[in-house]
Amino acid sequence: MDIGIIDYYANSGKSFLHRALPFYKMISIALVLLSIVITSDFIVLLSIYLMLTGLVILTRLPFFKIISIAAYPAIFALLFAISSLNGDWIMPATIVLKALDAALAMVILITTTPYPSVFATLSPFLPRLILEGLYLTYRSLFILLGLMGNLFRALKVRGGFGQRSYIKNVRNFASGIGLLLIRGLDLSERLYGVMQVRGYGGRMADENSERRFTQKDILPLAIGLFIFGVSLGARLEEGFSQYGIYLLLFSIVFILTLAFYFYAPNIIRGVFWKR
Amino acid sequence: MSHIHIPDGVMPIWFVLAGWAATAVILYFCMRRVRDVELGRKIPLIGIVSALMILGMTLDIIPIAYHINMSVIAGIVLGPALGFISIFIVDLIISMFGHGGVTVVGLNTLIVGTEAMLGFYFFRVFLGVFGAGRLSPGMSAALAAVLSLIISTCLMIGVVYISQINPERVLHVHKENPLGKIFSLEPEGENKRHKIEDKRIDIETFAKTVFSLGVFGWILEGVITGFVIRYVSRVRPDLVLSEVT
Repeated sequence: MDIGIIDYYANSGKSFLHRALPFYKMISIALVLLSIVITSDFIVLLSIYLMLTGLVILTRLPFFKIISIAAYPAIFALLFAISSLNGDWIMPATIVLKALDAALAMVILITTTPYPSVFATLSPFLPRLILEGLYLTYRSLFILLGLMGNLFRALKVRGGFGQRSYIKNVRNFASGIGLLLIRGLDLSERLYGVMQVRGYGGRMADENSERRFTQKDILPLAIGLFIFGVSLGARLEEGFSQYGIYLLLFSIVFILTLAFYFYAPNIIRGVFWKR
Repeated sequence: MSHIHIPDGVMPIWFVLAGWAATAVILYFCMRRVRDVELGRKIPLIGIVSALMILGMTLDIIPIAYHINMSVIAGIVLGPALGFISIFIVDLIISMFGHGGVTVVGLNTLIVGTEAMLGFYFFRVFLGVFGAGRLSPGMSAALAAVLSLIISTCLMIGVVYISQINPERVLHVHKENPLGKIFSLEPEGENKRHKIEDKRIDIETFAKTVFSLGVFGWILEGVITGFVIRYVSRVRPDLVLSEVT
């Protein structure tokens, strides 16, 4: 998983979700997560997944990359699903689908919102030590990513990873991690010192971000509310399942329309072929 | 292999909330413990150790999402209290890109945090046993990692067992109970109209799968932890044998 690319997507995108305020996006994602928690209807969960997939298209981010990042937890869910196999496929499929839905919702949030903005929104609920830890961890991630690339390249070039010399490889890999820890700590200490000299006192500038509801926040919130409403309906009304198929059809039409609208012009004009 | 990678919405709500509550209490005590410590130097260390753990967790050794945790390294370098705080930070961040459910961050922190805390104490005990030899820090760290991972994996299986996960029951709608219509708060609640079969997760199959996959992970993580701590103790012994925080 490339953390650097996730951060790049969050900072470089210009879609409606990128422009919406993190506070309302987080409310919307929280509603989607709540929907996933309360619903157990396979059709509803599948429809939610398709709708979220539609949102990925709307963000104009690389579609398959986002879907593949969000598919990661399905591996673990499979372990769980296999343990609950009893001849019926719906139950394991529901477990896997819940994992996929929740992961895709979170990945949409994190690829459209920079981490510091997410932390800033969470700041009223977190103690200062944890908040500072979150910021420094985020910054340290990129320090380490930079160091790691160079370090492992140097190890390879100098014969640090040989064929069939497993013990030597593990020792060199571990020494590399030790070196990363020490070099990273030096750089992180220097960064923290610079931040303090510049007046850092435990709060980031972005922390007092605006929370005024504007037009650009309507759509993300409406999507969250719609998904939550559908899940609540499925939970409360026994007869809801007969309408589930219409919801599924709606989701399929939604995703096909978006795919046609966003990708068809590129295919017709040959942009993909040029790439 | 000691994480709970259970999807959101499968664990009973009462258990998820209990996990969050226990984590909050432990975090409170951890923060009280480090109240008098000079945190100016410790915060960058928390940042770098947490970042290292995140990178470790996102690097698949085998392409079935099999990764190292480095939580024992965090415990040894940061100490039990700061180690637990660091684990919470890591779990919170990785849950944001779908690595483990968001609702189970509390339970995840308890399990991986236990790993870090035990790792620290085991390391100190083994260090006392092996004395001041050249290989002592590495050996102590490796053994501490293996022991902590075994215990945390047992804890994870215990959590799954205690939660009485029965997907049929948890995913089922309790139509008679108005609150239960939304959340299945009663794990053992009987539904009169819908006979729920006892289709719990087969804990034996689950444990066998986790242990058979885990044993390689424990050894690998133990070896890597040993070498990392051996290296750090030679270059920066102050990081490994610092004050207990």
